[in-house]
Amino acid sequence: MKILELKEVHKIYNGSEVKVHAVNGVTIDFQEAEFAAIVGPSGSGKTTLLNLIGGLDKPTSGKIIIDGTDLSLLKSSELIDFRMRNIGFVFQSYNLIPVLTAKENVEFIMSLQRRTREERDKRTYELLKAVGLSDRMKSRPSKLSGGQQQRVAVARALASKPKFVLADEPTANLDSKSASTLLEIMETLNHEEKITFIFSTHDARVVKMAHRVITLEDGKVVSDDVRE
Amino acid sequence: MIWSIAWKNLWRNRNRSLVVIVAVTLGIISGVLLVGIMKGWVEQRVHDAIYNEMSHLQIHNTEYLKNEEILLTVTDTSELFRAVEALPSAAGWVRRTKIFAMVNTPWANSGFVINGIDPEKEKKVTEIYKNIVPGGGEYLKAGSRGEILISDKTAELLKLKQYIVTEKSINNLKDENFPVEIIARLESLKDRRFRSQKDFREALREQFNKKELDRYGLKIIDKALDYRLRNKIQVTISDIAGAPVQGTFRVCGIFKTRNGGFDQANAYINSGDLADLYGGEVYTHEIAIMLKDPENMDQVKEYLTGISAGNSVNTWEELAPDAAMMNDYMVIYYFIFIGIIMLALAFGIINTMMMAILERTKEIGMLMAIGMNRIKVFSMIMTETIFLTIVGAIIGMLSGWLIVELLGKSGIHFSSWGEGFEAIGFSAVVYPVISADFFLFIIILVIVTAIISSIWPARKALALNPVEALRTE
Repeated sequence: MKILELKEVHKIYNGSEVKVHAVNGVTIDFQEAEFAAIVGPSGSGKTTLLNLIGGLDKPTSGKIIIDGTDLSLLKSSELIDFRMRNIGFVFQSYNLIPVLTAKENVEFIMSLQRRTREERDKRTYELLKAVGLSDRMKSRPSKLSGGQQQRVAVARALASKPKFVLADEPTANLDSKSASTLLEIMETLNHEEKITFIFSTHDARVVKMAHRVITLEDGKVVSDDVRE
Repeated sequence: MIWSIAWKNLWRNRNRSLVVIVAVTLGIISGVLLVGIMKGWVEQRVHDAIYNEMSHLQIHNTEYLKNEEILLTVTDTSELFRAVEALPSAAGWVRRTKIFAMVNTPWANSGFVINGIDPEKEKKVTEIYKNIVPGGGEYLKAGSRGEILISDKTAELLKLKQYIVTEKSINNLKDENFPVEIIARLESLKDRRFRSQKDFREALREQFNKKELDRYGLKIIDKALDYRLRNKIQVTISDIAGAPVQGTFRVCGIFKTRNGGFDQANAYINSGDLADLYGGEVYTHEIAIMLKDPENMDQVKEYLTGISAGNSVNTWEELAPDAAMMNDYMVIYYFIFIGIIMLALAFGIINTMMMAILERTKEIGMLMAIGMNRIKVFSMIMTETIFLTIVGAIIGMLSGWLIVELLGKSGIHFSSWGEGFEAIGFSAVVYPVISADFFLFIIILVIVTAIISSIWPARKALALNPVEALRTE
C-alpha cells in the first residue's frame, strides 16, 4: 500500500548570488512498512528531501502526497497537526526534552493528541520495553548514554503510531555498538509495528540493513535499489 | 503536560529564575507594605474623622458653616432633639455650642474653639474621653463648674507642659533598669524646671552623647513630663452683643488625638459654663450624631433634612472630604503602587524569558516539528512566565502579609516626622492593615503582567522556523 508519494518535487534556495537547486525533480513513492535509506554525498539534498517529506519545508514545485493528502493544500496549522498524527521524527542529536524523563518524553506527543492516561502509560511502556529501556523510564536524558537517548527518541517517534518515521542521520553520533543495537531495534519495530522508516545516512551499517537504498546526487535520484 | 513542562523549565537555570523570583518577592513585599501603611493611615484618619471629630452626621444652621457667628444656631431645636432622640439607628448624639476664644496663661497665649458640651452625651459620639494622656488628669465631669479640657498641643502652646526630673521620675527610671551612670548624670538636672521640650532636650544634650540620647532620651522625656493640671487659664470670647468677656477655667484634663490640627483647635467645657460666660441660654451650633450602622447614614441624612428647614445635615464625608476621598480612592492607590512595581518587574521577566527562549531555540524547533502547534507553544511560554512571576508573588504576598500583621500589632513609629504628620491629621504611629481583596487584586495584576510579559518572548518563539531552529547548536 502506497503511503507516500513525491511527484516532480523541486526545492530551490535563492541565495544572494546563486540559486541552489537542492532537490531537483524527485519523483518517488514509499510503501507501507518499508525500511529505506536515502544516501548520497554531503550537499546531495538528503536532509532537504527529508524536511520536504516531513512537511517542515515547502517544495518550490511538485507534489508530496501522504496517505492521499496533498501537503501543499494544508494550511500551516493543519500541517502541524498532520505531522503530529502521521509523521515521526528521529534527529541526529536526539533532541529529547532535557527536563522530562524518558517516559515523559515518549508520552509527550500522546498528551498533545489528548490520549487518555491509560493509553499513554500502556503505549509508553510497550515502546520503552521494545527499545530496551523499560528500566530507565524515570531517567532524564542527562542520565542516559547517547545510544539510550536515541532509543528514547525512536520510541517517541513511534508513540503517535505514525504512517512513517523520518530519521536524519540517526547513528551519526553513536558508537558502533550503540548504532547496531539501535538499528536492530528499528528493524524489529518496522516489522512489528508495520511502520515505514526512511533514513538519510552516510552510515554503511544503515545502508547494509536497509531494504531499499535511494541514492541522491545534486538533488536528483540517481539510483533506487530495492533488496529482497 | 504543558503545565508540567513549564514548571520544570522554570528550574532549568535555577539561579536566573531565582533572581527574578526574589525580585518579584521583594517588589510584592514593598507593594504590600506600602499599601498596608497607606491603608493603615487612611483607616486611622477615617476612624479619627468619625470617632474624634465629626461623628457620622452633623446638623448646623445652613449659614453657620459659611460664617461661624454666635447667633447662627440650629433652628427648631426642640423638634429636632425629639426626632434625633427617637432615631432607632442612632447610637448617641450631642449638641454643641461652639465659640472661638482667645486663651492665655501668665506665660503664653493661643486660640481655639471652645466646645460647650454635655460631657456624658459627648462620650457617646466621640472618643475624646478615651484620649486623656497618661498623667493628664481626667475627662470633663458632667455639671462641673469652671473646668476645661484642653489638648496636649494647647498645653504645650500655653506652656502648661513642663519637664522636671524629680525623685519620683528617677525612681521610675530605676524601676525600668536604667543604667546607674545614666541615672547619676540625670541627678544633675534634678528639680530643674524646663518650660518646653526643646529646652529640656538641650539640657539633656549637655549631659548625654547622641547614642545615649537615642537610646534613653524619649523615656527620660516621658518620665520628666509634668502637666500643670488645675492651673488657671484665662479665656476671652465675644458675648452675644459682640463685647469681649473673660472667664477663668481650671485645666481638668489633657487629651491628645492623632490629629494635631484638630487638637490645637478644640477645647471642651460644660455648655452651662459657656452660656454663663457669653450671657445667654445654651446655644446649639452643632448637633453631632453617631449611628449604630454607618450604612444607614444617607437614609438618616435624608430623613433629618426633611424635618430640618433652615438647617443643613452633612455626613462626615462632606465635612471631611480629604479623608473620604482617600478612602474612596484606595483602589486607585493600589493600582498605582502595584502597577509601578509590576511594570518595573516586567522588564526583568521579559529579559529572563527572552534568554530562556534563545537558549532553547533548537528544542522549540523540535517541538514544532513533532507537532506542537502555535497555541500550545504560546501557552507553554506563557505558563512558564506566569509560574516565574506567581512563585515570587505568592512568597511576596505571604511575607508581606506576615510583616503587615506583625507591624499592625507593634505599629511603625515615624517619631522624627511626628509633628508634621499630626499637623495634617495623620498619626506618627501607623498600624499597617491589609485586606483580602488587595491580595486578589495583586494576583490578578501579577497574572496580567505575566501574560503581557510573555507576549514578546512567545512571539519570538512562534517566529522560529523549525528547520532553521533544528540546525542551531
